Amino acid sequence: MTVHTDVVCPFCGCLCDDLEITVEGNEITGTKNACAISRSKFMNHGKNRLESPIVDGKEASVEETIEEAAKVLANAKRPLVYGLSSTECEAIGRAVELAEVCGGVVDNTSSVCHGPTILALQQVGESKTTLGEVKNRADLVIFWGSNPTEAHLRHILRYSVMPKGMYVPEGRKGRYIVTVDVRDTRMKRLSDQFLKIQPGGDFELLSALRAAVRGSRIQAESVSGVPMEEIVELARRMKAAKMGIVFFGLGLTQSDGRHMNIDAAVGLVAELNHHTKFLLTPMRGHYNVAGANSVTAWQTGYPYAVDFARGYPRYNPGEYTAVDLLASGEADAAVIVASDPGATFPVDAASRLARIPTITLDQKVTPTTMLSRVVIPVATAGVECEGTAYRMDGVPIRLKRLVKPHAGALTDAEVLVRMIERVRELRGEA
Amino acid sequence: MKKVEVTLISGRTSQQGSGLEVGKTSDEYFNSTSYVELSAEDAEALDLEDGLPVEVNTDHGSVVVTGRVSKELDSGLAFFPYGPWANRVFGSTTEGTGMPAYKGIRASLCDARDAKVKTLTELVEEMGGKGL
Repeated sequence: MTVHTDVVCPFCGCLCDDLEITVEGNEITGTKNACAISRSKFMNHGKNRLESPIVDGKEASVEETIEEAAKVLANAKRPLVYGLSSTECEAIGRAVELAEVCGGVVDNTSSVCHGPTILALQQVGESKTTLGEVKNRADLVIFWGSNPTEAHLRHILRYSVMPKGMYVPEGRKGRYIVTVDVRDTRMKRLSDQFLKIQPGGDFELLSALRAAVRGSRIQAESVSGVPMEEIVELARRMKAAKMGIVFFGLGLTQSDGRHMNIDAAVGLVAELNHHTKFLLTPMRGHYNVAGANSVTAWQTGYPYAVDFARGYPRYNPGEYTAVDLLASGEADAAVIVASDPGATFPVDAASRLARIPTITLDQKVTPTTMLSRVVIPVATAGVECEGTAYRMDGVPIRLKRLVKPHAGALTDAEVLVRMIERVRELRGEA
Repeated sequence: MKKVEVTLISGRTSQQGSGLEVGKTSDEYFNSTSYVELSAEDAEALDLEDGLPVEVNTDHGSVVVTGRVSKELDSGLAFFPYGPWANRVFGSTTEGTGMPAYKGIRASLCDARDAKVKTLTELVEEMGGKGL
């Protein structure tokens, strides 16, 4: 029996790095410090695994799947490489390279999570910080359109609500917690102030708060369902904070307004920095979606939605994003890595995966593998192989290998390297 | 048939997150994604008891899922956990951003107590997949 300490959890953007994982033989038998989702990830990582590579519904060898995938990609006119947020950075880099070799498009899951955040931050900038600084300094924490009690379970314990920090020695008592949401989530009970907002009313409320911070009078009794006195009181409290932060989630990016909501949030935070130190951080979902953005940006200049059709990278969310390429019927082949668009995309985009040759690298049976022509089982990063991932605040953390890969599976990066080599050969570029 | 108009939002739940790590084909995933939450007032308007099937309709499609009554929701608001059942009723228009409207679309709910909630395999086969 081996107890691995300081293990990093490869589930959400918190990348908690204090787990203890017990391994007996090649099996994980226990976890400590893991949240419910993390514990499920580690304890069930061997269940429902893909037992064999598959081509056209029949078992095949890895070599046969790579050969078939390479033929598809060498002949495709508009291949899409998508996913990448639940794998490590080396694999992400190889996926970008594959898209370049094929003259295709590479997109990652940020297009359906914080893509609008990126669009806004590229326009208006960002006040960045680390979660460590939040823990040690923040005395006003606002969760806007995000619910860490469901999606980032230890965020409130490790960074934002409960922990004692250097300048917040009382922990929870030293912080004022605010939640803005359309429904009464468990965060309401954890918060000192809860603002129930009408669905789609974020832009207006953010703008009203900004106006209140500036001292402007708004001629309304309420904005987006929130009484004006609560808005004015929150504005006063924000200006009086020693350090404040807004953690925002998909309640802003997936609602009406999308990137304009983030633009308004940045505007509010910029206004507050005339009075005190104020920051904002997106609550990134998949554990390495921040890494997918970083790697894609350092290789191409752009964080997602990158098209190589002209031989050089071009960027245009809304056109080169996966949902748009699939729903329009433009993509004529797809490579899906560490993602399940068959379950996460609207049905008219997802069902396109069954009508084009789709090649999927995954650990388990998913709707996407069921829609795919070629399926290649791979090792789980952070459990069966090492790698680097980027936490939601942009801090890179090294993932550990705890057990051997299931049935000798290759890593995402190893499969992609072989695919790239074979596509180059078929295109006469080797 | 009785029906109520709602604003529909989708989102992550911890059960859905835990269930997907067991596997998308697991009972845990099915149970954590094939339902919609509605307010007690809307359930009463539909004469619907907690746990009975309800049909969700939008401009983009319809799906039958289990209806769950939630104290977190006001009348006129419904919540769908992320997953393939939810994605039967969300559209792929992204307004030039790459992001579909996963939160805040108009939907109607109606009693479907005699209908069956489709399995994951049935949903995927309807999409053209080969199933397990």
